[in-house]
Amino acid sequence: MSLLIAIINGVMVGGLYGLFGLGLALAFGIMRVVNIAHGEFIVLGAYLGAALLSVMPLNIFVVVCLVAIIAFGVGWLLQFSLLNRLIGPNPVPAMIATMGLSIIIRNALVSVFGTDIRAIDLGSLQDAGITLFGVSIGILPLIIFAIAIVLFLAVGALMTRTTIGRAFRAAADDFEILETLGFDRRKVYASAMGLAIMLAAVAGLLLAVRSSFSPYSGVERLLISFEVVIIGGLGSLRGSLIAGIFLGVVQVVGLKLNPNSGPLFSHLAFLLILLVRHFDVTFLFARKKI
Amino acid sequence: MTLLTLEKVDVFYRDLQATFGVDLSVGQGEAVAIIGANGAGKSTLLRAIIGLTPVRNGRVVLDGRDITGLRCDKIARAGVALVPEGRRLFGSLTVEENLLMGAARARPGPWTLAAVYELFPAMREVRYSLAGNLSGGQQQMVSISRALLTNPRLLLCDELSLGLAPTIINDIYTCFTRIRETGVSLILVEQDTVKARDVSDRLYCLLKGQVTLEGASSEIRMDAIKAAYFGETAA
Repeated sequence: MSLLIAIINGVMVGGLYGLFGLGLALAFGIMRVVNIAHGEFIVLGAYLGAALLSVMPLNIFVVVCLVAIIAFGVGWLLQFSLLNRLIGPNPVPAMIATMGLSIIIRNALVSVFGTDIRAIDLGSLQDAGITLFGVSIGILPLIIFAIAIVLFLAVGALMTRTTIGRAFRAAADDFEILETLGFDRRKVYASAMGLAIMLAAVAGLLLAVRSSFSPYSGVERLLISFEVVIIGGLGSLRGSLIAGIFLGVVQVVGLKLNPNSGPLFSHLAFLLILLVRHFDVTFLFARKKI
Repeated sequence: MTLLTLEKVDVFYRDLQATFGVDLSVGQGEAVAIIGANGAGKSTLLRAIIGLTPVRNGRVVLDGRDITGLRCDKIARAGVALVPEGRRLFGSLTVEENLLMGAARARPGPWTLAAVYELFPAMREVRYSLAGNLSGGQQQMVSISRALLTNPRLLLCDELSLGLAPTIINDIYTCFTRIRETGVSLILVEQDTVKARDVSDRLYCLLKGQVTLEGASSEIRMDAIKAAYFGETAA
């Protein structure tokens, strides 16, 4: 029974991992920007939420919305003011810029918040639970998983049903032609980065409610994001979600088997998948474009 | 009335100069053909008009407004549209999504989704297919429609006939009668000189980036085209 609970918890954490990967995949798929600072933005989302909660007691949904709006603005500005000048046939300049940015954010977090490991406490909601079929599940993890799923569905709808979402996909195919149809490429890219950072920050905030974080957590989060993208594929929403859940389940079940293992088991699982891929075994989900 | 004027336009393709002091004009509602061999600078000239490639020297004037150096999306919204060489549809979007991209930033005008489906009824059957999976002829129809949906005043068509079967080329050019009825001006870049002369009002021949022949299509003789095309001294 405890294994079942571990799996359920893994699925819930995995939904957030899926969002990490989705944000990274959007930035790479649309702008060809390898965002090394992605992990730092995930952590930034957590600190932003913690800071908001320390100023005033807010509903979790309000905090999520505020962090989402701020993160979108930050991503938009980052792309519009900096990365748009660096992108081109060569992906390295933008990658180096985000690498520098990751160092800046990390050190800024250290000097503002210190190096303490912390967690976000939501009071009574933290301990509330329900019992389903004899298994007790926390209300909070359920809410978090629901938010993750809603975000996945919302991104899916955005990509297929709105002009800006179609423009994201079109820009990934052929940005020159998109410009000849009257779209300002710089703004399309800025919105895409806004969305990517928003997903990272919101998922980072929600993960912080479940587990601890410090200014140095970014590297670990970035690693998970890359693993999700590589397992799930660049263009596939479903692939990202399934890959995230897979890594989440392996990690939480691994922790159940050995509480000191940390993220070891999910990295081992990732290695296993790389090996399977290498020997050309057809995998579960096809990699199709967004 | 003149819609587009190029004055002494030099365009570079990377470090190579592609056009040398090209003067060209297109009247309101006029169809102008640009012919020339591979590498004569035809496609680069079209890219320069819509702002995808910068104009190094000279001026581009659209309806009295200097659009030299303007960003591509602004030139597009001023009423220039491009049907690019090789069609270049958004391959991971469906046919209808490709068309919607054309309509999204459109100027007001006669072209709507319904109107382009009426122009090319064959597109309706494949509207939910991925654009990348269509045949060449179908792709060309979508590419033309996508450009038309922006309701341009000037439509630039780059090598419409490239890689298509002759019957399909005829079908597509037949539709241009309908397109021209809306008053849009055309620049057609073609390698097929006979086709180019048949469908245009005036014709320019480019050779190594320079205009070697210009005149009313109905008055230009084939041997004059041949001389201008290959750079032989006119007999």
